[in-house]
Amino acid sequence: MEQTILRGRAWVFGDDVDTDLIYHNKYLAETDPKKMPQFSFEYYPGKENFAKEVKEGDFVVAGRNFGCGSSREHAVYCLKFSGIPVVLAESFSRIYYRNAINNGYPVLFVNGLSEAIKAKAINDGDELEVNLAAGEIKNVTNGKTFHGDAVADLEKDIMAAGGLIEYLKEQAAKSA
Amino acid sequence: MGKTMIEKIIERASGKKVKVGDRVWCNIDWSTARDFGGANCVLQFEEVTEKKGKVWDPEKVAFTFDLQAPAHAEKVAQNQKTIRDFAKKQGISKVFDVNWGVGQHVLLENGLVKPGDVILGTDSHMNLLGAVGSFATGVGNTDIVASWFKGTNWFRVPETMKISATGTFKKGVCMRDFLTLLVGTLGADGMFFRSVEFYGETIENSTLADRITLCSMVTEMSGKVGLILPNGDVLDWLRARAGNEVDERVKAIAADPDAVYCQELSFDVNDLEPLASCPDAPDNVKKVREVAGNNIDQVHIGSCSNGRFEDIAAAFDVLKAANFQVSPTVRTIITPATRETMKRCAEAGMIQKFLEAGVIFTNPTCSLCTAEHYGVLPSGDVGVSTTNRNFIGKVGKGSHTYLMSPMSAMASAVRGVITDPRDILC
Repeated sequence: MEQTILRGRAWVFGDDVDTDLIYHNKYLAETDPKKMPQFSFEYYPGKENFAKEVKEGDFVVAGRNFGCGSSREHAVYCLKFSGIPVVLAESFSRIYYRNAINNGYPVLFVNGLSEAIKAKAINDGDELEVNLAAGEIKNVTNGKTFHGDAVADLEKDIMAAGGLIEYLKEQAAKSA
Repeated sequence: MGKTMIEKIIERASGKKVKVGDRVWCNIDWSTARDFGGANCVLQFEEVTEKKGKVWDPEKVAFTFDLQAPAHAEKVAQNQKTIRDFAKKQGISKVFDVNWGVGQHVLLENGLVKPGDVILGTDSHMNLLGAVGSFATGVGNTDIVASWFKGTNWFRVPETMKISATGTFKKGVCMRDFLTLLVGTLGADGMFFRSVEFYGETIENSTLADRITLCSMVTEMSGKVGLILPNGDVLDWLRARAGNEVDERVKAIAADPDAVYCQELSFDVNDLEPLASCPDAPDNVKKVREVAGNNIDQVHIGSCSNGRFEDIAAAFDVLKAANFQVSPTVRTIITPATRETMKRCAEAGMIQKFLEAGVIFTNPTCSLCTAEHYGVLPSGDVGVSTTNRNFIGKVGKGSHTYLMSPMSAMASAVRGVITDPRDILC
């Protein structure tokens, strides 16, 4: 995994952000992942302009159970193709977690994020530094630091391959 | 140390001894996709295999059309056609088209689901098949595509929690109220990544419809799957559909007496009251009495959670007690889960009575689980629904929804305001 330190602005969300808030069911018939970013967070109160205002390199920061609800992979694609390099959350709902890993898309379980968001220790527009490999997050705006959980070996291998399909192709090539 | 149900299922499917937290590759018994997500799977599979790929076993792949059935828009119609064409090309015969109903229910009714099966589907409520002891789970399109290569996929062995329920529901109270109690008690991530086993007389004496209701809402607590060991009438029903093998399967997946659970909870349902998930979250739970009298604009009874014959019959009994009149100020929509359910409703004479009362009785589909379907709510409207989610703006921006049992929903349709069904039934 890359050792570089990512820098960007935070977009901050609460607990239990469901997939309808991330990518509403109104747009489920879309089949081209690259067209999905335009609908990101359209239904999230106060974040309706996310799709218009998000910049490549910005971070999505959230509390507990991010991505609960539907199985739609659209909710991963829309952020991935918005140029969000990683989603940081206290925890991820299991289908969202799988969908992210399977796409080689980094998601980091970050301890204490839910409380930090409620306590305004991390706010919209704050400048963050994220060292993905070390799981370290620094809020440059106020100096606060956070730590992410270690990623399990299989997920690490799938991520390193670039996703589940790529991983399976690598495995097939190895055993051929 | 004994094994839980999910550990036994995963050991069978992976051929390995497992413990909680292990990552293992399991053989998949069914890899399914719906009209929603299905076209995404097909297009991705064709892309990554350069249109030369063959699914590992066409007899283990199924498609169900339920989210927008029949298609209401050209894009949806095209997606459905993409799936049909792919199925034909791949020799996949299990295509349950727009005339069948909600996918998991259709698979179950067609005898394709056995206890201990590992089943994938592009539906987060796939896991309601845990109602017959199968490990079904909702996944995205990449998981489905990956499974089509060799019929395997990766899983984390989850912790298991055990929930026991004793007692009998009083009149006007049902399994939906019990699970609403669970969602309110445990919260939106109260079953986080876990498998859940349900036990106790309340569960063991319950119908298949009730078990499905219960297991369908495990997703709303972020659980992996809720499992119930088939017994009694449910086992007989299942054997008649899926064959005698189900008896061996039931024995094979039963948890050991010394299985290890991460949490054990017990409930008594004797004094349970009708409950509602209030806007805008399933875990925002109050007694129906506390919100009774609130204005509503629409009532919807159906979905994978509460769209079976028994659910509609329970609503029918409330309507009957109210002399077959729904409020003219409320739009009341009933959507059976499957064609079989609809046929039973017709045979029982219920559909005619519903229509005479002014109810809209629709074809079997997921209906109001999305805002891309008939019945979508305009901003400012308040709905009552027996679906499983009332997230912000889910069935229409600016609208709000109360989730309740079919009895509470019909009682509210009758009075035109939120109503405790005991006010009509008792």
